[in-house]
Amino acid sequence: MGTPGWSARPVLACGEVRTCLLPSFQALDGRAAAQLLRLRADEPVRVSERPNLYALSPDVLTGVDCRLPTSNGAKVRAVGTVAARAALTEGRVLQATACFSAPATGPDTRRPWGHYLVRPGLVEPFGKLPEQAAAEGVLRGGERGELDLGMIAESLLAQLLRHPLLDHKPPFKSRRTHLRWAARRAPRGEGPSLERFTLAEDGLRTVELRLPEETPAAAAAGLCEDLALHDWLLTTVVHMLDNSRLGAVDGPSAVLALRPAVDHLLHLWMPRAHVDRTLGHLWDVLEREPGFTRQWQTLVQRIRDQLAVQAIPLLHEALSSTR
Amino acid sequence: MLVFAASDKGGTGRSVTSANLAYHRALAGDDVCYLDFDFGSPTAAAVFDVPDARQAAEDRGLHSYLVGDVGEPVRIDVWSDTEHRVLRNRPPGSGRLVLMPGDLSGGEFATTEDNLRRCVDLLLRLNSEFDLIVVDLSAGRSYAVDMVLEATSQREMRGVEFRWLVFHRWTRQHVAAAASLVFGKRGIVAGGVARGHEEEALRSVIRFVRAAVPDPESALWSQVSATQSAWMRECDRDLKQLASSHGIGYSLVLGSVPLEPVLQWREQLITDEDVLDSQIANRETWEALSELAGRLTDDKYWEQA
Amino acid sequence: MTEAVFRETTAQPRTQAVPLAHLSLELGHLYMEDFEAGPGRLREHFAEVRIWVDAARAAAARRLGGKRPRISTCFLVDDYFTRFSTPAELVPLVLEEAERAGLVIDYLARESGCAVADKIEVAEAVMHRLVESPPPGSYGSRPPVSQTGWLANGQRTPATRGAMAEVTTWQPPQETAARNHSVFMDVELWSEKDGQRLWSCPFLAAVWQLARLGLLRHLGEPVLTPRPWNGGDFPYDWDRLPPLLQLNASAAPFSAYRTCTLMANRFLAVEDAVRLILDQTDVDSGALGQIAERSAREGAAVPAAVAQRATYVFYEEPANALSAEEG
Repeated sequence: MGTPGWSARPVLACGEVRTCLLPSFQALDGRAAAQLLRLRADEPVRVSERPNLYALSPDVLTGVDCRLPTSNGAKVRAVGTVAARAALTEGRVLQATACFSAPATGPDTRRPWGHYLVRPGLVEPFGKLPEQAAAEGVLRGGERGELDLGMIAESLLAQLLRHPLLDHKPPFKSRRTHLRWAARRAPRGEGPSLERFTLAEDGLRTVELRLPEETPAAAAAGLCEDLALHDWLLTTVVHMLDNSRLGAVDGPSAVLALRPAVDHLLHLWMPRAHVDRTLGHLWDVLEREPGFTRQWQTLVQRIRDQLAVQAIPLLHEALSSTR
Repeated sequence: MLVFAASDKGGTGRSVTSANLAYHRALAGDDVCYLDFDFGSPTAAAVFDVPDARQAAEDRGLHSYLVGDVGEPVRIDVWSDTEHRVLRNRPPGSGRLVLMPGDLSGGEFATTEDNLRRCVDLLLRLNSEFDLIVVDLSAGRSYAVDMVLEATSQREMRGVEFRWLVFHRWTRQHVAAAASLVFGKRGIVAGGVARGHEEEALRSVIRFVRAAVPDPESALWSQVSATQSAWMRECDRDLKQLASSHGIGYSLVLGSVPLEPVLQWREQLITDEDVLDSQIANRETWEALSELAGRLTDDKYWEQA
Repeated sequence: MTEAVFRETTAQPRTQAVPLAHLSLELGHLYMEDFEAGPGRLREHFAEVRIWVDAARAAAARRLGGKRPRISTCFLVDDYFTRFSTPAELVPLVLEEAERAGLVIDYLARESGCAVADKIEVAEAVMHRLVESPPPGSYGSRPPVSQTGWLANGQRTPATRGAMAEVTTWQPPQETAARNHSVFMDVELWSEKDGQRLWSCPFLAAVWQLARLGLLRHLGEPVLTPRPWNGGDFPYDWDRLPPLLQLNASAAPFSAYRTCTLMANRFLAVEDAVRLILDQTDVDSGALGQIAERSAREGAAVPAAVAQRATYVFYEEPANALSAEEG
């Protein structure tokens, strides 16, 4: 996140990504995507056209001064800024991330605000940071009054959803997912690793990472957005197949229910497309187990087979009517 | 689609009927969300039989969300959290059924810019997630009514379809009060127009539901004397006359729910088991609710009256 | 790791650097009332300022360890809140009075350029960059500065909320960085009239400080860049004067590591508000990094906090300032 390289090296980076379908009838093109994500008048939206259309907003900061969530009940006050950003993939899937990094120790009193503002995305603890407990606390979610990354991501998302470009006529209904992540510093000399990916209930996913010191929080955020995007695709298409009640209801209505997947989702699968080069290989462990791409291919095949089967009677009809 | 459930007074069966409509739609496969905007007297937890909801909504319900105390209101998955024996078994093919309870302690409050923005944010968000969103509003021309009128007049909400159901009991007083709630000087239509709604458009999305209607032909009344029966028929005729003279006649009625002891005595969801196995509820009630649920989204019933 | 083969320019924006002096010295800020007080007022002003200019120059040289500092001077004319006179009439007068005091004005700016410069909404962009200092207990809700138009240095007296909320007694506001006792300040950033937004004087002055500190960018490009003066006549319409005019061709760069502003002490409250705004502005991190790096390399490392880079001299106005016709 462009943190100028002063002092306080972070030992922990945490974030939450919220992923949803863009509520508009049509996908946005690159120009409209840039318009939507223009959170600041003077800072450009990053737009890539290869290997897919991807737009990333500038960071916006939210000041915080509160307790950090901790798994062991330790009360740690922290002050600083949380960085939030939004990304839009293929003009269709919208994501908002809120994240921060924290150094191992911080001053015992609050400093002038200008001190924190020149360290965007850094939250400094009062005294020593209980790294493990804080990482677990963020993944578990805080108590009321503790740092709430979800709230920050959500308010950014809500701000975007009020944009006049959106007609709020989504082609199908879908749930949001929340992915929380925590990255602790990898032992010296070791590369980055993905320690755990947990699929919890109510659309919550958690990711634990180990990252070398030089990996910026923005790169970790990018990786987790990519994981969240693809997990959301799986979740959404699985739900769609469930709801279509393939086999239970008559053919045409099942096809009708699956049509939006073909129109809007099947072309979005592209792991690692915008992940930092040093982190792309962290996908490998998920491809081995459970096999994200393997599941996706199966789903896609199932949908295509259904459509093909449904087309047979139509073909018959067409043939018999020409006779 | 958003469905706002309003009523002229308390005790019309608005909450319990709209909860049953939500339940029917979920059974039919829709993803449904039920919002308890009846600030001050939240009943949804009882209707859906989710006692945990009361606990969870101690201070994280819709009221806390709207005043900005929490980032998100608590959601309760009815299928998995209900203590209702039958509801616990989610039928295959059914959609999600989510309850957002009000706060136990939250009373009414004034609509401020911030509350309004949060209300719009929530409705927009739910609209992209659920097929049907039922919003149960406090009785009368309440703050809750004002807030959703204001919210639906916002530019951001232009693309979101919404409809109003106005519940009233089948008595002279209630018929007059319901008409006044909608068409009166301080009614929903006037209030909507004052907030920028187009009058014709707003009128066209409002329908009435007659609740607790005793059907003189029903088996329930088969034992009454001939005089009583004749009197009932006459009353019913008079009420129909009255309703139509108040401008809420047949063409504006989406449906009626018969007088049902189960709904009267113990506000609850009526399941097919209540009708078929234990037979504590009447088949007519089940059918009426099912029909009403279907008509919610059937455009035939929403064409210009 | 090898360089990436494929690049997309729209995906990797860059922040362009601006040339920088050591010190940007503001010789004055001219409002209509100063102009109406006649040329004597200006003469008095420059005579007083001259003394402090010498002091500021000496201080800058001392910081550099005796090396000769690059210092540019500037002068700001208000054409935003009130329109008076014309550049053709006013600018030569200002230059003449400055010269009489032995001063050279390198750059001349119009205040409205801090609102909109070359069709770029500068003030609006700075507004988007406000990040409020969170009072203790802020865990993620974003205070809606962009809705209220006010910015404070602490927590306001709580408003009574809702019909059902219990009535509470008055509670004092609290400065977040208070030492024992609060000095609470709440600054109006703009007002609205007939759908038109009028930026407040402190807010435009904060934009002006950011411009002088070289921290303004629009999509990575510098804004409010000086336009050279060809030596010809000045126009009869303020709108036809560039927002920032370079009057002295051999001047040091307009933007600088630090600023020093010389002004009458009646502006003290305004400039205190400017510090409050700067303290809560998240400036372009690219520009911030460039300046931190270059100033350190030159042995003139800037303070990390932006507001700390601005210094002031508030001098006493002549007692008969408003009637000093004959000077």
